[in-house]
Amino acid sequence: MSVAREEMGMAQAAADVIVRRAEDRYQAHQQEIYRTTDRTLAGLMIGEWVFAVILSLTISPWSWEGKARSVHPHVFVALVLGGAITSLPVALALLRPGAPATRHAIAVGQMLWSALLIHLTGGRIETHFHVFGSLAILAFYRDWPVLLTGTVVVAVDHLVRGIAWPESVYGIANPEWWRFLEHAFWVVFCISFLILSCRRSQRDMRVMAERGAELEALSENQWRSSSVLERAANDAGGKG
Amino acid sequence: MPNAGASPWARHSPLLLAAGAAWLLAVSAGFAFLWKYKSTPGAQGDPTPATWPAHTGVARSSSRATLLMFAHPGCTCTRASIAELAWIMNRFHDRLDASVLFWSPRDAPRDWQSGDGLWASAARIPRVSVLRDRDGREASRFGVTTSGAVLLYDSGGRLLFKGGITSARGHEGDSFGRERIASLLTTGAADRADAPVFGCALGAAPAEGLAQAGSTNQTERSEK
Repeated sequence: MSVAREEMGMAQAAADVIVRRAEDRYQAHQQEIYRTTDRTLAGLMIGEWVFAVILSLTISPWSWEGKARSVHPHVFVALVLGGAITSLPVALALLRPGAPATRHAIAVGQMLWSALLIHLTGGRIETHFHVFGSLAILAFYRDWPVLLTGTVVVAVDHLVRGIAWPESVYGIANPEWWRFLEHAFWVVFCISFLILSCRRSQRDMRVMAERGAELEALSENQWRSSSVLERAANDAGGKG
Repeated sequence: MPNAGASPWARHSPLLLAAGAAWLLAVSAGFAFLWKYKSTPGAQGDPTPATWPAHTGVARSSSRATLLMFAHPGCTCTRASIAELAWIMNRFHDRLDASVLFWSPRDAPRDWQSGDGLWASAARIPRVSVLRDRDGREASRFGVTTSGAVLLYDSGGRLLFKGGITSARGHEGDSFGRERIASLLTTGAADRADAPVFGCALGAAPAEGLAQAGSTNQTERSEK
């Protein structure tokens, strides 16, 4: 009876070890993804900054008043506001890689980049694709709350501008009441599938971690068994 | 596992919060500046003649409406106005003749008009004449001082609309001006006959030039 209880206890202990190892492997994998994505998006933001400055210098380098020209405000905006948007996310990516605040700051920054690029390109409809591209890139984190942060930034931007300057969002001063819902619908449509994808990825990561931990435990058991047998064989050989 | 605990940012979370708040404040201020710049219209200009002026060198159609756009060849905001003009012409080409008059100072360099590609963009729009407005005499005659300003006259030479056709500086898309012109051309009426103009300032014309009658020689037509 006591032998059976002892064996059950050992099995439970072994299972606990596997669960702990699986959790450790899962956390390590998750951190690796967070840190890699932090670095990728920090690089992307620096690239967007450089792109915005080149864009403003190419598209709108000068502002004119008759024959007198001066540097266009878009150049300063790309340089200063673009730099401001990039600063905190990149600093956090360097100083606190993998931390939750870092990826949420990056999400805010990336969506602000969408807004700035739309302004710098004169509201071109094509630049609005940057919003959806950014949401897809944020899904690299496989952390769905980050997508919600990005969506909140888009919503706040639409809300503030919709109240203060509706023409800039909808092109007309008195948009139909449902226009906000139309914009929101497409963002929600996009992130719904991205959130689904993130959750599936997390589940797959957990399964991978559990299988990895089980294989590790199995491999260790085999090593221990082979060591015991080896020692036994050596002992027997020595006695003979 | 995260090593955030080793970072000074993690040890001093109030510092992180302060940095976050300062960042949001700075970025909000930047966007507020940008919105203010983009939504500030140019000068309204002088009163525009309610009927087609007799001494202008610009041709007017007597069978359909005539639209004039005044443009500074270097004004990047006007790129959006020309895109909107293309939209209007695409939709109303059978009811409208249009001309774009590019402001050209007396001592302009040779590449003045081709500077930012606006001339070529305007010239590519079907049924649009592109003209050189020497010293801005026509702009002064029509009471226009801001690039991107549009005037719409009916076939009888009566002024129907004066204003811009973009919603902000250099911003393409729906706008009051475009909607009003569309309404005037389809129903003959609009809620207002004006709209803010977003663009660079045109140079003032010399006073002595305005007094001259019959300024056909002051406005040069481009080849299409």
